[in-house]
Amino acid sequence: MSAGGASIGDQVVFWILAAFITFFAIFTITRRNPVTAVMSLVATFFGLAGLYATMSAHFLAVLQVLVYAGAIMVLFIFVVMILNREEVAPLALRPLRVLGVLAAVYLFVKFVDVVAFDLPAGAPSPASDTFGTVAAVGDMLFRDFLYPFEAISVLLLVSIVGGVVISRSHQKEVNAERAAEYRKQIHEMASHDYPEADGASETAHGHGGGH
Amino acid sequence: MPTSYYLVLSFALFLIGTSGVLLRRNALIVLMGIELQLNGGNLALLAFSRQLGDQKGQVLAFLIIALAAAEAAVGLAILVGLFRGRQTVNLDEITLMKR
Repeated sequence: MSAGGASIGDQVVFWILAAFITFFAIFTITRRNPVTAVMSLVATFFGLAGLYATMSAHFLAVLQVLVYAGAIMVLFIFVVMILNREEVAPLALRPLRVLGVLAAVYLFVKFVDVVAFDLPAGAPSPASDTFGTVAAVGDMLFRDFLYPFEAISVLLLVSIVGGVVISRSHQKEVNAERAAEYRKQIHEMASHDYPEADGASETAHGHGGGH
Repeated sequence: MPTSYYLVLSFALFLIGTSGVLLRRNALIVLMGIELQLNGGNLALLAFSRQLGDQKGQVLAFLIIALAAAEAAVGLAILVGLFRGRQTVNLDEITLMKR
């Protein structure tokens, strides 16, 4: 691979961002503490946002920071705080899984082989000044991709409802059922021990029936 | 920079995410690995979008970000629900469907 017509500044920025992203991505999956992992994932997403900005995808760079580094990672942090448990053995080194990772590495090597030789080497010339701006991407989104856009909104609605239903606590219902069970038992015991006290206990001396 | 550089980086991200998904026991880290995989795919989409001068790739990347948000919400909700019942997020102990 040759760097083609890219300027020195472009190359420096790319290599710095690529090293940053790769480092923090590896950091993410090797940390024992989930909070550290989330924080390095946020760093990865910031690096990716910077990379998007250099690829004339400004809208996506902003979205990456807002949605990924902002919203999704806040969700992760909340759940990590709820579920904070020390891990005993973080790695699951089973033969099949290690084989899967080796297959992924092989695929990576093959892929690098392919893209190193089969793609045009030079940097593509910028399509136009408005390429990737909010206005241009939004225009395409609301003209050509209107139905996928609406479908995504339905998907988000369904996932909100699903998330609430799956994660809500069932403790109240369990408690209510248990209380009803106890009430029934107490009622049965009482009516067994004091049968005349059950319906009409008008007589003042009507006690001590059951024994 | 040529497109192939971005593609190699995107596949490296996907590889790292895959390793995280396969090798970790903590379900939270596995979800983070999935996020890394999605981001690798996004980077490839944007690289091809730039190579071809076509903004459709950017719109697709936008839709994938929304999809990732939905996936994270449902996945984390499942984790919280599991944790309520069994006090663990260790994937080796979650064998509800294995019998």
